Amino acid sequence: MSAISSESLTKVYSDFVNKKLSVTALNDFTINVEQGQIFGLLGPNGAGKTTFIKILLGLVNPTGGRASILGTLLPDVKVRERIGYLPENHRYPGYLTGEQVMLLFGGLSGMNHAETKSRTPSLLKLVGMEQWAKMKVKKYSKGMMQRLGLAQSLINNPDVLFLDEPTDGVDPVGRKEIRDILKRLKSEGKTIFLNSHILSEVELISDRVAILDKGKLLKVGTVDELTVTDTNYEIGFTGSLPENFHHEAAATVMKFRVDKQIISAELKDASELNHLIDMLRRHGIDITHIAKKRTSLEDSFINLIKREVAS
Amino acid sequence: MKLLTLILATFRELFSKATLYVLLGISTLIMLGTLASVSAEHTDEGVILKAFGNPVSPPTPVEEVETLVFGMQTGLAKGLFFGIMLFGVFATASVIPDSLEKGTVDLYLSKPLARWELLLGKYLGAVAVMLAVILYFIGGIWLGFGIRTDVWNIQFLLSSFTMTFMFACIFSIVLILGVVFRNAAIPIIGSFLYLMFIDNLLDSREEILFLFSESKIYRGILDGLYYILPQIAGMQRSLAEQILHKSMEWKPFVQALLSSSAIFIFSAWIMRRKDF
Repeated sequence: MSAISSESLTKVYSDFVNKKLSVTALNDFTINVEQGQIFGLLGPNGAGKTTFIKILLGLVNPTGGRASILGTLLPDVKVRERIGYLPENHRYPGYLTGEQVMLLFGGLSGMNHAETKSRTPSLLKLVGMEQWAKMKVKKYSKGMMQRLGLAQSLINNPDVLFLDEPTDGVDPVGRKEIRDILKRLKSEGKTIFLNSHILSEVELISDRVAILDKGKLLKVGTVDELTVTDTNYEIGFTGSLPENFHHEAAATVMKFRVDKQIISAELKDASELNHLIDMLRRHGIDITHIAKKRTSLEDSFINLIKREVAS
Repeated sequence: MKLLTLILATFRELFSKATLYVLLGISTLIMLGTLASVSAEHTDEGVILKAFGNPVSPPTPVEEVETLVFGMQTGLAKGLFFGIMLFGVFATASVIPDSLEKGTVDLYLSKPLARWELLLGKYLGAVAVMLAVILYFIGGIWLGFGIRTDVWNIQFLLSSFTMTFMFACIFSIVLILGVVFRNAAIPIIGSFLYLMFIDNLLDSREEILFLFSESKIYRGILDGLYYILPQIAGMQRSLAEQILHKSMEWKPFVQALLSSSAIFIFSAWIMRRKDF
């Protein structure tokens, strides 16, 4: 059973006065997240990431399509007992203490007071907030609020956790701690759905990643699948290249660079790769390895978005 | 359990604001003023009721003092009614728009809580706070009258619940305006206008508004509004009857209950269609 799935999910924010101002936030969005995964949803601002989460949580009504969480077709109030959510720019009542926030949202999750009270200290400890439990939220820093938000999202021991920019405002040490917490939660079998602008972080912890732009799903796959390129190759060789090799290769191959015993080449297709290999072999060069080159998730993301804009 | 959590959270939210303490402070001053100013002087000719040391009644036989006190309490309740309602609305109107603010509504609605439950919890929380304030206020004045005149008018004390019900009806208007506009200013202005002008004009539409036109459509619209919206003026008359121990007219209460329930359901329907 999928933890999260959507089928042709569409959301149009209509402007009834001026139709031209209507915005398609999600366009025929189909995705499937397996249980026990950390899934990262990436996209530039306004891509539709938050809209997707909000549809799943019942905050936004979809215009079309369907979605389900843990096999329950949405909208469904009851399934939210098994969900935790850390929204972006959350606002907790400033007059409450951290502990009281936990009690409030535990109660709203349908838990009884004793149960919430017993879970609160351990969760606050988990996010490093135990010493600030009795302090009023209005005195908290942004990072402390994020930590409290994460603890709050875990109060009902959810099976699926939605985190929208969880490390926003958190210092590097705190980010590492949050990543460790997420890994631990994953090892407990929880599904984590992550929206983040910090691609390097998503790359570090996500099992699968989807890239969304202007409401359209551009690509989905594991981090490896997304970062590997079809056009960039690395060819290892022994010996030295003949003098005329550069000239000869430049005439047929798109772009290439030689660094010590490695040729990095940007090729149009497999025929160019074969051509390059033939050339090397013709000159009696021994090839040690051929590999598709990887880019960082950030480069891959930027390339995808650039291509989308260009098209 | 979830509803109770919301009610208690609203209680805490409102008691964290200075406005409510101002209302309680004013109430306390009026209560103490009543205790200090109202007195009953027993003379050979009868009992003379005094306010601030000045007689407000001729010497009255003991058995008729009760009626005089009831009259004084009715006058006081009528005078204080608008103050309590207006200040009450002012103190509680932010409850709905605050809970619908970006960053807050996300937290509430991501919990297993239906949208109507969120509205109901906030609504009942605000009404519960006002019940506490009105009970404190009216209860204090009732105590003051009892101590100073030895007339213990239980109907005056029970009028706290009547006033709270009336507040609940007015708060349904605050609720719908809060859901639609998501700010506190419009609900405050809207409910003030309704309480001070619209309701009174509709109540006396036959004497005032009907004079402007004989059009059946015009009059039909006014009649329709009168029966659709909570009839506060009608309930005010019943409130006076209650304190005076007269038989109460229940029709305005039934109408207001139906009207407020319809407004609540309509608000929940609007809320259901909204994107947050």
